This record gives sequence, C-alpha cells and structure tokens, in this order.
Amino acid sequence: MIALKRMWSGARAWYSVPLMLLLWQCVALSGLISARVLPPLGAVFAAFVNDVISGNLPYHVLVTTGRTFAGFVIGSVAGVLVGFGLARVRWFEYLFEPVFFAGYPVPKIALFPIFTFLFGIGTPSKIAFAALECLYPVVVATHLASRATGREIVWAGQNMGMTRGTLLRHVLIPAALPGILNGLRIALPIGMTVVIVTEMIGDTHGLGFYIANSGATFRYDKLYAGMLAIGLVGLVLDRALVFISRRLSHGMR
Amino acid sequence: MSAVLDVPSPPRRGRWRRLPYMAGRAAVPLVVLALWQWFGASGKLPPYLSFPSDIVSATRELAGEGELWTYLRDSLLRLIGGFAIGSAIGAALGLVAGLSKPVGEFADPLVAFVYPVPKIAFLPIMLLIFGLTSATQTAIVALSVSFPVFLAAQHAVQQMDKHLVWVARNFETPFPTLLFRVVLPATLPGIFAGLRVALALSFVSLFAAELIGAKTGLSLLITEGQDWVRYDIMLTGVVAYGLLGFVADRLLMAVRKRVLRGVLLGTGEAQR
Repeated sequence: MIALKRMWSGARAWYSVPLMLLLWQCVALSGLISARVLPPLGAVFAAFVNDVISGNLPYHVLVTTGRTFAGFVIGSVAGVLVGFGLARVRWFEYLFEPVFFAGYPVPKIALFPIFTFLFGIGTPSKIAFAALECLYPVVVATHLASRATGREIVWAGQNMGMTRGTLLRHVLIPAALPGILNGLRIALPIGMTVVIVTEMIGDTHGLGFYIANSGATFRYDKLYAGMLAIGLVGLVLDRALVFISRRLSHGMR
Repeated sequence: MSAVLDVPSPPRRGRWRRLPYMAGRAAVPLVVLALWQWFGASGKLPPYLSFPSDIVSATRELAGEGELWTYLRDSLLRLIGGFAIGSAIGAALGLVAGLSKPVGEFADPLVAFVYPVPKIAFLPIMLLIFGLTSATQTAIVALSVSFPVFLAAQHAVQQMDKHLVWVARNFETPFPTLLFRVVLPATLPGIFAGLRVALALSFVSLFAAELIGAKTGLSLLITEGQDWVRYDIMLTGVVAYGLLGFVADRLLMAVRKRVLRGVLLGTGEAQR
C-alpha cells in the first residue's frame, strides 16, 4: 500500500510530461504545424527504436559520451590542480590568477579553427575542446572552495607536523571537496554541449553529427530521436556524477 | 605555506603606486603576446598562427572596408536580441514557477528533461521555421539563455526569505507590487548569477548557429578567413569574438553592480 502510494505520488510529480506529449500529439495530428517541424510521436519513437536496434544511435552515443568523458576528466584533474595551486602558492596566484579569472568569460569556442589545425578534425580536437571548457569552471570552483577553508584547520594541521602532501590529502582536499564537486557538476554539461556543438560544425561521428545530419536530410523524426538520446545521456551522466559525489563526500554531510 | 617568491601585495592608495603591481599581474599574457609576435615575425610558427601585428593590420583592413562592422553589428544584434528575449522569458517564468507551487510542479519535470539537451540541437528546426535569417540565431540564443535564467530565478525565489512575502501579503499588497517591489529585488542577485552563466552559453550557441545557418557574423569571419587561407583574417575573427565575450561579461557585471548596489552594501563587494 505504501509502495503504491509512493509510486502514485512519484507519477503525479511527473504528470506534466505525458500531458505535454499528449498536447504534442494532438497538435501534430491536427496539422496546425507542419509534420516536418513537429512529427507525430509515433514517428519519433519508431525512428528512435529503429536506430537503436540498427546500432546507429548507440554508436553515436558512445562516441559523444567517450569524448565528453575524456575531456571532462582531463579538464577536471588539471582544473583541480591549478585551482589548488592558485589558492596555496602565492607566486602562482600572482602570475596566473588573471589568466584564469579574466580569461573565464572569453568564449573559448572561438579557438575552434586553431584547435582543428592543432589536433585535426576528429576525436582529439573534441576532447581538447571539452577539456579546455571544463577547465575554467573547475579552476574557479576549486580556487574559491580552497580559499574558504578555515585557516585554523590548516594551521592546526601544520602544527601537528603534517607534510605538504599529508596536509593536501587529509585537510585541504576534504575541506574543499563539496565546492569542487559543485564545480564539476557545472563543468560536465558544458563539456557535453561543446562536444556536441563541435560535432555539429564539422564531424561525421557523434550525436552532434547525427542531429545536424538528420536536420540536413529533413529527417525530423530522427532529429527528435537524437535529442531524446542527448537528453538521456545528459541525465545519466549528471545522475552518475551526483551518485559519485554523494559517495565521495558522505563524511562531510 | 612558504611563499617561493616574495610577492608584492597591492598598495592601497595611489593609482601610480599600483602600476608596478598591475604590470606584474599582466606579465604572463604580455610575455605570451611578445613571444608570439617574436616567433611569428621570424617565421618559426605554423602559418595558421598569424602573429599579433599581422592581425592588427588585418583588423585595420577589414575595418576600413566596413566588413568588420557589418559582421560585428549582425552578431551583436542577434546576441542582444536573443539574450534580452531569453532572459526576460526565463526570469518571468522562473519567478512564477518559484512563487506558485502548481506551476513549479508542472515545469520541473519538463525542465529537467529539456535542460541537459544543448539548445543548439534545435537549430535544424529553427532553420526550418525562420530560414537563413538572423531570427534563427536570435531564437537559438534566446532558447539557450532562457533555461539557466529560469532555473536561477526559480531557485532564488525558493531560497528567499519567506517572511518578506508574508509581511507584504499581510499588508494586502497587490500581486504586481509584490512581484516587482518585493520578490524581484530579493531575487535579483540569484538571477544575475544565472544571467552570467547564460551569457557564456549564448556565445557558444551563437557561434555554432552562425556557422551552420548565417551569411554574416563574426563566426563566419573566422571560417571565411580559413577558406580563403587568410589566417590573419581568421584570427581577427577569433580575437574579435573573444573580446566581445569578455566585454559583454564585464558590461553585465557593471550593470549588476549598479542595479544591486543596495543589496551589495556591506558585503565587501561594494567597496571594490
């Protein structure tokens, strides 16, 4: 009974999704908006299932997810290191803080042609791009979180004779972890957006290409199927990151 | 932690005394620029990295022909239009969704599902609706902007001090007054945080939207330079686009400081 009630309240919280889908279907069938712009749901679903079974969509999902993940990992590791460097090493902060804080709002996407010259048009340039875009929010988040760490805790650690490494591992990183994880959660969708955008501009693999290609060949049912896939990938990646964050920082709560 | 170098701290007073400090801060970009120029002028860099003085002369050339200004104007109009429309819609809906529980419950699952999809994915549909006009890019920018602003506004309403609303309600404040005199001022700091994220996003989506479906714009300057093997023109586009993003962010921050001057009083940020 309780399980049923919980299921009901869970279903009720999501009621707007089927409602909007119903509205979509009604508009699509009424012909008010051309079937190109808004294909009937059945067609979208059929295209989705069709391409999942043919292995076409899973392939592009894997390509995009792999690129996003690789870029995200590289960018976050570098970002955390740089962020700690900025917060803990004064000369490093003096020299490089402007690079990261003034460079933060500069749209890195403009470097697209230079990256394609440097890394080619394929996977490496996408990964490099995602890494660069993930780097900045992680640096800023780590820097701010690490700065907010109480001086007293650091002093206490130093008084107890901690070496730099121990201090970093047992004091600085745990104290800054929630802030860092927050930064990671901001960085992940940015990385994915950049990968998809660069795939749309010039590539023959990945979900960005799948969408651009579906649009260019007027297969709008496939276009929506691609969007559905992107939404699912984004949702799964975000949930996974939240899950890992909870495991990592459960001592902090 | 011991400082490896003795780092000067910023002098408190005097514009001229701050000069050496500021020069030191700008050292890394300046050194990179100088090296870039040096290696470029001596021909040791790959051709696609035209050096700074080349870029400056290309900028002059393009500005003289007026092409730079047309492209800049078109990009700017799309950006401003899209940003204004998207942030107005996002903030309005976000405030309502934060204030009214049924609206919030209706919107939450929809937003949760559409939010992770990069809005640039709607480009083929916008192209179908608006064709190869600026409206396509404007719509894409507006779409990308509206979601983070919506979430920021909704979150800000949920986080704000409920007593303010209760007090206003007790005084029988009409709803528009409540919205504009109580809720909006209380949530503006949060909304501005969303606007800043949205601004960065809008540049990414504008870039792709221009490349795929426009005839003018700064992003096209970049690809056209690439196609004509005029790398100085390409890099002019890169620099201009980067500068535009930087200046836009600074402008937004200046507006924020002005608008929020009452809220920021005493937070330490006001003195800076």
